[in-house]
Amino acid sequence: MKRGSHDCQSRLPDNTALKQQQLPAYRLQLTATIILSGFFITGVFCLGVGVILLLSAKNIKEVEINYTEKCSDCAKLRENTANFDKECTCSIPFYLPEAMKGDVYMFYKLYGFYQNLYQYVLSRSNSQLMGIDIKDVSNCAPFKNSHNGIPIAPCGAIANSIFNDTIVLSYNLNSSMSIKVPMLRSGISWWTDKYVKFWNPSSQNLSSAFAGTAKPPSWPKPVYELDEEDPENNGFINEDFIVWMRTAAFPTFKKLYRRLSRIQHFTEGLPAGSYSFGITYNFPVTKFQGEKSVVLSTLTWSGGSSLFLGLAYTVTGALTWLAFFAMMAIHLRLKGRKTLFHQE
Amino acid sequence: MNTERDSETTFEEDSQPNDEVVPYSDDETEDDLEDQEPAVEPEQNRVNREAEENQEPFKKDCTWQVKANDRSFHEQPHFMNTKFFCIKESKYANNAIKTYKYNVFTFLPLNLFEQFKRAANLYFLILLILQTIPQISTLAWYTTLVPFLVVLGITAIKDLVDDVARHKMDKEINNRTCEVIKDGRFKVAKWKEIQVGDVIRLKKNDFVPADILLLSSSEPNSLCYVETAELDGETNLKFKMALESTHQYLQKENSLATFDGFIECEEPNNRLDKFTGTLFWRKTGFPLDADRILLRGCVIRNTDFCHGLVIFAGADTKIMKNSGKTRFKRTKIDYLMNYMVYTIFVVLILLSAGLAIGHAYWEAQVGNYSWYLYSGEDATPSYRGFLNFWGYIIVLNTLVPISLYVSVEVIRLGQSHFINWDLQMYYAEKDTPAKARTTTLNEQLGQIHYIFSDKTGTLTQNIMTFKKCCINGHIYGDHQDASQHNHSKAEQVDFSWNMYADGKLAFYDHYLIEQIRSGKEPGVRQFFFLLAVCHTVMVDRLDGQLNYQAASPDEGALVSAARNFGFAFLARTQNTITIIRTPEGNIRLYCKGADTVIYERLHRMNPTKQETQDALDIFASETLRTLCLCYKEIEEKEFQEWNKKFMAASIASTNRDEALDKVYEEIEKDLILLGATAIEDRLQDGVPETISKLSKADIKIWVLTGDKKETAENIGFACELLTEDTTICYGEDINALLHTRMENQRNRGGVYAKFVPPVHEPFFPTGGNRALIITGSWLNEILLEKKTKKSNILKLKFPRTEEERRMRTQSKRRLEAKKEQQQKNFVDLACECSAVICCRVTPKQKAMVVDLVKRYKKAITLAIGDGANDVNMIKTAHIGVGISGQEGMQAVMSSDYSFAQFRYLQRLLLVHGRWSYIRMCKFLRYFFYKNFAFTLVHFWYSFFNGYSAQTAYEDWFITLYNLLYSSLPVLLMGLLDQDVSDKLSLRFPGLYVVGQRDLLFNYRRFFVSLLHGVLTSMILFFIPLGAYLQTVGQDGEAPSDYQSFAVTIASALIITVNFQIGLDTSYWTFVNAFSIFGSIALYFGIMFDFHSAGIHVLFPSAFQFTGTASNALRQPYIWLTIILTVAVCLLPVIAIRFLSMTIWPSESDKIQKHRKRLKAEEQWKRRQSVFRRGMSTRRSAYAFSHQPGYADLISSGRSIRKKRSPLDGVIADGTAEYRRTVES
Repeated sequence: MKRGSHDCQSRLPDNTALKQQQLPAYRLQLTATIILSGFFITGVFCLGVGVILLLSAKNIKEVEINYTEKCSDCAKLRENTANFDKECTCSIPFYLPEAMKGDVYMFYKLYGFYQNLYQYVLSRSNSQLMGIDIKDVSNCAPFKNSHNGIPIAPCGAIANSIFNDTIVLSYNLNSSMSIKVPMLRSGISWWTDKYVKFWNPSSQNLSSAFAGTAKPPSWPKPVYELDEEDPENNGFINEDFIVWMRTAAFPTFKKLYRRLSRIQHFTEGLPAGSYSFGITYNFPVTKFQGEKSVVLSTLTWSGGSSLFLGLAYTVTGALTWLAFFAMMAIHLRLKGRKTLFHQE
Repeated sequence: MNTERDSETTFEEDSQPNDEVVPYSDDETEDDLEDQEPAVEPEQNRVNREAEENQEPFKKDCTWQVKANDRSFHEQPHFMNTKFFCIKESKYANNAIKTYKYNVFTFLPLNLFEQFKRAANLYFLILLILQTIPQISTLAWYTTLVPFLVVLGITAIKDLVDDVARHKMDKEINNRTCEVIKDGRFKVAKWKEIQVGDVIRLKKNDFVPADILLLSSSEPNSLCYVETAELDGETNLKFKMALESTHQYLQKENSLATFDGFIECEEPNNRLDKFTGTLFWRKTGFPLDADRILLRGCVIRNTDFCHGLVIFAGADTKIMKNSGKTRFKRTKIDYLMNYMVYTIFVVLILLSAGLAIGHAYWEAQVGNYSWYLYSGEDATPSYRGFLNFWGYIIVLNTLVPISLYVSVEVIRLGQSHFINWDLQMYYAEKDTPAKARTTTLNEQLGQIHYIFSDKTGTLTQNIMTFKKCCINGHIYGDHQDASQHNHSKAEQVDFSWNMYADGKLAFYDHYLIEQIRSGKEPGVRQFFFLLAVCHTVMVDRLDGQLNYQAASPDEGALVSAARNFGFAFLARTQNTITIIRTPEGNIRLYCKGADTVIYERLHRMNPTKQETQDALDIFASETLRTLCLCYKEIEEKEFQEWNKKFMAASIASTNRDEALDKVYEEIEKDLILLGATAIEDRLQDGVPETISKLSKADIKIWVLTGDKKETAENIGFACELLTEDTTICYGEDINALLHTRMENQRNRGGVYAKFVPPVHEPFFPTGGNRALIITGSWLNEILLEKKTKKSNILKLKFPRTEEERRMRTQSKRRLEAKKEQQQKNFVDLACECSAVICCRVTPKQKAMVVDLVKRYKKAITLAIGDGANDVNMIKTAHIGVGISGQEGMQAVMSSDYSFAQFRYLQRLLLVHGRWSYIRMCKFLRYFFYKNFAFTLVHFWYSFFNGYSAQTAYEDWFITLYNLLYSSLPVLLMGLLDQDVSDKLSLRFPGLYVVGQRDLLFNYRRFFVSLLHGVLTSMILFFIPLGAYLQTVGQDGEAPSDYQSFAVTIASALIITVNFQIGLDTSYWTFVNAFSIFGSIALYFGIMFDFHSAGIHVLFPSAFQFTGTASNALRQPYIWLTIILTVAVCLLPVIAIRFLSMTIWPSESDKIQKHRKRLKAEEQWKRRQSVFRRGMSTRRSAYAFSHQPGYADLISSGRSIRKKRSPLDGVIADGTAEYRRTVES
């Protein structure tokens, strides 16, 4: 306990800013000037952005045609799984009063389809889809193997339930003649999906690459015959397949189906006139009270035609301004009030 | 009584397991102190004490057998205890000590076991187990495991570091060496090789390796001086003495080697000051007591070498037995926090159950018809719902914050270090920094309601200076010179004529010096002679300088005063003598003590009795500590007779102490009064200021002291606890008040007393300043302590009939109820007074008072003291503070915080306590908020995914959210935040009340935080939902895909919570700024990494979000969504804060607002005060008390019995070598 003079003052704490809790600091204080000006500027910003968003959403042309009811015969047919091999087509004419200028995109939209269900989302095999191990189906329950035990490719619930309607848009040049609107089936997926997440197993031709695997039970054709026109768009790297495999966040969703190829009559976009959708109806939705529709839309810098964000910004801006005026009033009223505090 | 009280030290009444089942040794010292209380207490108290003593089950079974130099003796089979099933172990521990908890192999299992004993860890373990069940696992395995491992790892590393330090320490100690007899010779051996029964030799400055019986030493009479600093912190030397026979025969190596003594003594225990045993040697039995035992941990001083026999080794030694578990105090916030975690847990279960029902319903309505969801199993919807219940328990587990407990520990550790580092609580004179001895109580320092303070050494300096004396009725010490003329300018007495003067004494009475130097007055000579010889002070000579080591500062002051006056005490070769043969051949008994004790024993014919009494009263009113000195001439014959009795008593085998006391009583009577001394004990610096600061902070201060009522009152005035306009109530006043109150209550309540809601009516009319001064005996009277004790005695008799027993229990119950009501009334009354002073209280009563307030006021209490008599109180209070000052370390050892000066208390409470409280509250509020905001997004999302326990974020994000993205800023805020600076905290004590009233963290605040979290999670979910529902990306790709959605919410969440902590932080240092922006940057950095192509190629199933970040975040639409979400989350918070600050500003808001002005004001004031300081000197205040300042040995006269030789021999031995330096 006794200490000599040599280690005198040895227990003196260090006099550093940190240890003495004297670090230089800015004391955050919500002063009236900062708050009021902040609210004012935020209000201006929100209103501005809101108006811009609303205006750009206004410019968008969009056509949505719900064909669940319109093709009720086909829908009925599909309710019975025994009829899976019977083809059913249905044609839906419609009139475009105004031309859709610029790039036009075609989407299919599903209502009440729970692509975000936990077990459903999990049911896929990334290593199979990357072509690393074609027979890795461990995560794909309940669609791992076919009846005779052969691994399914692509396995899993997501792949099995792929949207397999075929939609063809025709333009009626005149009352008697219609031409098929040229559509691109590539460039509809993310680059990373197409070139990182999805690869075909390496082999000389696709059918041999997928040898030893079975097609998913709901599929009419094996995976290497998805696109009969373009052999480069086959197998796992088929873009319709990739788009489907990127699961949606909500039970109502749109997925990109085709892009307008701006050639011939359509260099400016879709001209006004009468059109018709030719639909090969394969995908059953009525069983679960779902609906499906096809959407044609143009886009702007902010994407699709949603008014929500624009409205939300406008409302937020307005409320911010309201709050600004209210706070200003209160501040001015109480400014004169003497702040008293207990003196020592 | 004691165990009862201890069990209630926890905050709420719910009882915690009591760690302290073994009675502590300070209970013993406490009783000793009580015994020496001046006998002014009412008669009933004596009855109490006897009753207590009777109840104490103290067995003195001597079953511990030790045989010297015979190791095989201790290995006999009947000394073996069976451990486990077949492993036998000797009951004699070996001397290797083991304080570490783990070794290489046991660390992992034991440490994990320790950690899983905590409820939170167990909860996460169960979650992990749930996650392994594939049917219900809804999160990837790493989401819980990684944070959990990190949390466990941090704790394990902390434990490991602690344990490695212990290992090193143990190793160092076990490998120390000393000499042990082996094969007839002393050989150097390591400590760990020493065993019971070994004879060892120790040299000067050696540590004693085990509890040993002192056999002989190099000093005359085989004395041995030891320093017991490691045991009790006292640095003064104590001496031990060997038995006469061992001293005579066991000096040589060969005789020691053949020593074959046999010892029977008590089993190992933790009583440091007690030992009973007998040595059988040469067919004689020698009684042994604690004065022959050297305890492990002592250091041999001033003794060249000594020999001893090991009695207790290693774990059996008293010091090891004493290092038991310390009681675990917990804070109010701890309890609150636990309840909140339970609340959250209930919320979690309810949410999960609700969602599970939702899922079952959904399955029945939708899921069963959705062909694409076919799972291959035909489970019923309700079974799926049941599985989903567990799935949601897993998904929503982050509602219970995994890192909460670890973070709280880190913050508290930091706060404790800030206390240790505080320069302004460092006392340079003693080189003592403040020390937070526990790291779990810091925020409680900001919630103190009541302070219980000891007086001596706590409020006063406990540095005693000899001030005045009264010799033969004449008072010396006022300013006067030899010619009796009072000079206006006091001149200090010059002691340079005295070669032994230490030059430290300031004395102004020249007349006394004249008297001494002339040698005319025999009374004066005798007076100082007595002071020089009658004490327990030890002398140390360092380079020819005399150095006194006194057990109590009073003694030191008296002996050094005698030294300065020319009666230097030079050396002690024997123990203290109170009976001395003077050079003239007379035998004389010298004696000093408290006036009350001495006056009882005075001879009827004492010429100066009245004058001395007057002088004592004068001294007392000047608040000086007084002692009376007296002597007695003893006839040769009388002495011989007494000596015989004494010898007989000292070897009595039963009730030795009592027999001795009786013998002393016999000779200590008919004393002749010599005079009285007055010692000054100054108030510490800044005490009145501190007290007034603290009372402005609405903290009530109670002083609990052993002093007389008058002294206590004076002290009250001195430290400004009492002022001129205070009405003082005494025990008798309030007794009447309480009595009428009791009557009223009984009349009003009658049989239904229990059902009548307690009406609070004040005892005193409002207004006016009131103080209560109450003595210990009144306290007992009022609180009906004695009556229950009496009934306890009655209870001992066995009730004869059933009827009688029932009557008795009934009356006992009624008595209990009455006592409780009375106690409650007393506490209510006392709390109405602005100041309470309890004087003449025993240590037990001190603790009782603290306990009363704790129990009936449900307030947070703090006890502060410095001495052994405060230990009880310190342990009882929620927070114990020890003053590391003069009186040993016992108070400090049992305290939670310690520092050197009372005035540091204001900084501890008003600055550190307040900051800690505010930080902890802010931290907890934010922590709950951020976890709710984070987790409940899953809840909202489940309405859109069929209640399928789908998460709204990527698994990696869930894993790292609490660990990396949101932990550092809040941790730093918890460590560094300050709402107002320390100076302003001290200047405006009113700021302190937020903690006392629990304003910053309570159930209301908790629910507000939860609500804030809930709202934030709604905004975080629904704005992106609205934005995504209809739209597509700018390239036509759907941004409404799950992964982009998850990234959008996660980004908005991270930005929101980090900005929110920015808003909560009122003290933005660069570290805070760095951590907030760093966290956001870290989030984006890690996200882009985890979404990169490379990592997906390596681990395709672990990292599935490939490309999401880059694809989603390049779209302006998503950024606009994030910005809007963050703005909507934060703008209302800012607006509400601003409005509440403008409309209902809190005290700290106002001060913050006027910070600059206040700062300027302060500087101006400081300049002013420079002029003032020099002019006014506050009248210094004094205090005195009647604590038994003397070492145990002397006050009970026990030292006399150390003399074995006739008295003539004592002087021949050169007992107390004393030299007059005055030429007479």
